[in-house]
Amino acid sequence: MADQNKSEGIKKVCVIGAGVMGAGIAAQVANGGTPVLLLDIVKVGEADRDAVAKGAVAKLLKTDPAAFMSKAAAKLVETGNIEDHLERIAECDWVVEAIIERLDLKQSLYKRIDAERKPGTAISSNTSTIPLGQLVEGLPDSFQRDFLITHFFNPPRYMRLLEIVTGPKTDAALAAKVGSFCDLTLGKTVVRAKDTPGFIANRIGTYWMQQAVNQAMDLGLTVEEADAVLGKPLGFPKTGVFGLLDLVGLDLMPHINASMKATLPPGDAFHATNRDVPLIAKMITDGYTGRKGKGGFYRLNKAAGKVKESIGLTTGEYAPSKPVTLPSALAKDARALLASDDKLGQFAWKTMAPTLAYAASLVPEISDDIVGADTAMKLGFNWKFGPFELLDKLGPKAVAERLEKDGAAVPDLLRKLGEGTFYKIEAGKRLFFGTDGQYHEVKVPEGVLKLEDVKRVSQPLLKSGSAAAWDIGDGVVCFEFTGKMNALDEGVIGLLGKTLSLVKAKHKALVVYTDADNFSVGANLGLALFAANIAAWGEIERSISGGQQAYKALKYAPFPVVAAPAGMALGGGCEICLHSDAIQAHAETYMGLVECGVGVIPGWGGCGEMIDRWKSAPGMPKGPMPAVTKVFETISTATVSKSAAEAKELMFLRPTDGITMNRDRLLADAKAKALALVENYAPPPKPEFRLPSAGGKTAMDMAVDGFHKQGKATDHDVTVADALATVLSGGDYDLVDVVTEQQVLDLERAAFLRLLKTPQTLARVEHMLETGKPLRN
Amino acid sequence: MKNVVIAGYARSPFHFAGKGELTRVRPDDLAAQVVRELVARTKVNPADIEDLIIGCAFPEGEQGFNVGRLVAQLAGLSVTVAGVTVNRFCGSSMQSVHMAAGQIALGAGEVFICAGVESMSRVPMGGYNPLPNPELAKTTAAYISMGETAENVARKYQIPRAVQEAFAVRSQRLASEAQAGGRLDAEIVPIKTKAGVVDKDGCIRSGTTAEALAGLKPAFEQDGTVTAGTASPLTDGASAVLVTSEDYARAHGLEILARIKSVGVSGCAPEIMGIGPVAASRKALERGGVSVGELSIVELNEAFASQALACAGELGLKEEIINIDGGAIALGHPLGATGARIVGKAASLLKREGGKYALATQCIGGGQGIATLLEAV
Repeated sequence: MADQNKSEGIKKVCVIGAGVMGAGIAAQVANGGTPVLLLDIVKVGEADRDAVAKGAVAKLLKTDPAAFMSKAAAKLVETGNIEDHLERIAECDWVVEAIIERLDLKQSLYKRIDAERKPGTAISSNTSTIPLGQLVEGLPDSFQRDFLITHFFNPPRYMRLLEIVTGPKTDAALAAKVGSFCDLTLGKTVVRAKDTPGFIANRIGTYWMQQAVNQAMDLGLTVEEADAVLGKPLGFPKTGVFGLLDLVGLDLMPHINASMKATLPPGDAFHATNRDVPLIAKMITDGYTGRKGKGGFYRLNKAAGKVKESIGLTTGEYAPSKPVTLPSALAKDARALLASDDKLGQFAWKTMAPTLAYAASLVPEISDDIVGADTAMKLGFNWKFGPFELLDKLGPKAVAERLEKDGAAVPDLLRKLGEGTFYKIEAGKRLFFGTDGQYHEVKVPEGVLKLEDVKRVSQPLLKSGSAAAWDIGDGVVCFEFTGKMNALDEGVIGLLGKTLSLVKAKHKALVVYTDADNFSVGANLGLALFAANIAAWGEIERSISGGQQAYKALKYAPFPVVAAPAGMALGGGCEICLHSDAIQAHAETYMGLVECGVGVIPGWGGCGEMIDRWKSAPGMPKGPMPAVTKVFETISTATVSKSAAEAKELMFLRPTDGITMNRDRLLADAKAKALALVENYAPPPKPEFRLPSAGGKTAMDMAVDGFHKQGKATDHDVTVADALATVLSGGDYDLVDVVTEQQVLDLERAAFLRLLKTPQTLARVEHMLETGKPLRN
Repeated sequence: MKNVVIAGYARSPFHFAGKGELTRVRPDDLAAQVVRELVARTKVNPADIEDLIIGCAFPEGEQGFNVGRLVAQLAGLSVTVAGVTVNRFCGSSMQSVHMAAGQIALGAGEVFICAGVESMSRVPMGGYNPLPNPELAKTTAAYISMGETAENVARKYQIPRAVQEAFAVRSQRLASEAQAGGRLDAEIVPIKTKAGVVDKDGCIRSGTTAEALAGLKPAFEQDGTVTAGTASPLTDGASAVLVTSEDYARAHGLEILARIKSVGVSGCAPEIMGIGPVAASRKALERGGVSVGELSIVELNEAFASQALACAGELGLKEEIINIDGGAIALGHPLGATGARIVGKAASLLKREGGKYALATQCIGGGQGIATLLEAV
């Protein structure tokens, strides 16, 4: 749960409407550590009057990916119904309405809310289609002052965008309070949108999807071809458009289109692109509504033996899916792709040019500036680049000229831009092109720090092929991984040593952090496999030892070190966190020592660090086994936390470690944590261990034997677990011996090498490298 | 030699470990409530109690120190009442009865409380620090898991899965009938917990069917026949019996449930520990000069259906006299508390149902059996 950056002022939230969105919002409020009351209607004929809301929570608990970050979070959601419990909104500082999209129902609910709420309670609607002006029509000014739209994206835990729309009467301070709560406690990036249909992301995104469907059909593309073009080459998620429609549900599209059609002004370009697609209508009728239904543009044909199939856009018949690979010249170069005159290139141009032009024509109508539009598309549709960033990549002038040549309208903003680009860097600052024709600085909210912004204005202090060190100000150095998947290799380990010397000499503290989606997936397995295949055992031992020494040097450095993981922090990536003085983790941190999955054990100090953590866990029984047993369970099963909160339960995070909800604030929070440790800093004392020796190992082996007999552990699992048990039990040291940290490291290294010499482990490593999945041998 | 009698029996309700209503009750407090109530119900003069003997299979944590002495104090017994803890795993509290009987015969006291307790919620099976002897573990089955022994017994004595399941269904049916008919009420001591009073057993699954059990996955071996449905569940509970000399009971007007006729313990191969009751029962029967045919009541602990059936078969016990109010598969098996429960239950049933002899017997992890032969008074 969030224990950092708690926003003041909103201590309890009420969500009314326990559908997918309402329940998901309630879960995220709880994930942020705030109690939430979830209300829905009383269902006729149901004995339990809270059944609807309770049912929604029960469903949330089973959702995959999980809606709740921890069991503790789930306990913060209280359920009820709007007949018996509406007066309890007086306990709440913010009421979110997420009921069905019907103006009359919303308005009558607002009147009831207004009668029960305490003055100053913020009321917001999660509507995605009804303008704010209509929602508050006829309601008292006092209500309108406290009302706004907070538009979340599905699923609310994972989608980072929040569009906030205020009306002319909305109190600015109240909107700021809600915005700050959503930013700090819910971890959302708030984009201010205007009160126009579809706000920002859906307005542009709907147009884009419809345009893509139209063009794919007109040009006779397969869905694979369309998705290959509108995927990675342009920085879109690999689902492309048809995969995305399958994901969100085909039945949603006619719904949204109808609402856009009804609400957008007659001259809007949307109307020209909006058309009924008989194929989609038929698919919906036949139950092919996407992944939630029988399938969509893609389906898994189970009758044919789980064959992936796709639908022919002209035939309407399913056939085995034929993956499409673009020529590499086009796959990596958006400009070349759009310029290519084959049908894929035409498709790219005919989809993207109108979409980008549409986006450009909508600023400032839907957003005050292009930054808001770009942010919304990046976080609401997971685009890597916003429409204006894409235009910059393609060359705005070239796009304008080609539009002109096509006889299409060139939006004013694009015309106004002329030779320039929408964004530029000047004196280390990132500027954007305003609707006034001037450049303005892209404002970074206080407490937001991105390494990319640091990089824009400075050179690395140190750099290797797979890591770099940056000065992030105030005497703090940021060490980042830069290799593929942020994998760790000698380039990282080597540079870590140099960075430690540098910080010791010239700086105050170190933060280990990267802007990437995943902190680090661990050591580079390819190198280990290569070395093992040529039997370079000496080399391997040196590299394990090198990592061990580097991590211990980090741990005992004479300055504070804070690790700031986000996304996956696995294996060696987890171990570097374990060696830091403190961790400041993003709420979405998936942490684990997964080495056993590839047939080895943690070799860079993870075993000892975990025993030390569990040993000092509150409430642990005395004796040599309890901590060791916990560590054994966690590591032998390669358990990975599904959130930072869960990482705390698993003791990857200490109780004192921090969690940041908003990804953009992680580095700043970590830096602050590091600076807070500077005064009177002393490195941690070296732990000493009393390990359970051969008796404890026997107990662990027996437990694994039981799992083996139950069919839950494979033959090689038993071997790997035995090696792990040897380390955790202290090898040949006796129960009465005091085992040092270094001695545990030596045991780790020996066990690691022993396992790497088995063909079964090598098979696991090879399989992981080839398929990305563990081999169960 | 002095005659020894069972002059009272009480137990807590039994509940699933980890999820039942006794999960949050300390085992020492649990046992103390049972002991206090047994004293109150039997009206025995507390000052006459020589010793409180408590059986416990994993006597550590909250059931650690010398929990026998601590429960005597928690139950408000006289400071002169001594206390001892005894461990024979599942046979612990039956052993406490045997020890009391021996002391009485020796003239080392007249009145004993023999109790048992296990919180499998709060103290893990195997204890907090299991440190088996590596050599013994390598060369013998001394530490074999109980589930494996149940599979071994099923194989060796050819007890098919369906037969085990029919036995489990029978146990559940008898227990739920006994519960519904109020036949368990007299032995149960309502337990005060922070969440309220608990006065009903919590493990019994009434309406268990053979079809439902047939759908369960093997719990211990991938291709095995033993499932969670044919094994006793992890359970929290406490039990106690009052053991006195017959002279004392008569002199003080105590209600005698049964006389202890003879006892026996025996070791067996650890990998088939479930067969332990056979040798132990044979010893007790021989010592008492009683034949199997003379038994009218048998409490044969159901650690697993496979071992209970194998023992019944080997001893030639008629099914209709075994566990007539249900057994551990339905009621639960709080390790240290089971022995006193089945001795107390057998004695009560002998009184309730009539007949001459009753046998209480159980298997013990590590490869042992223990048996107590009772005779009607």
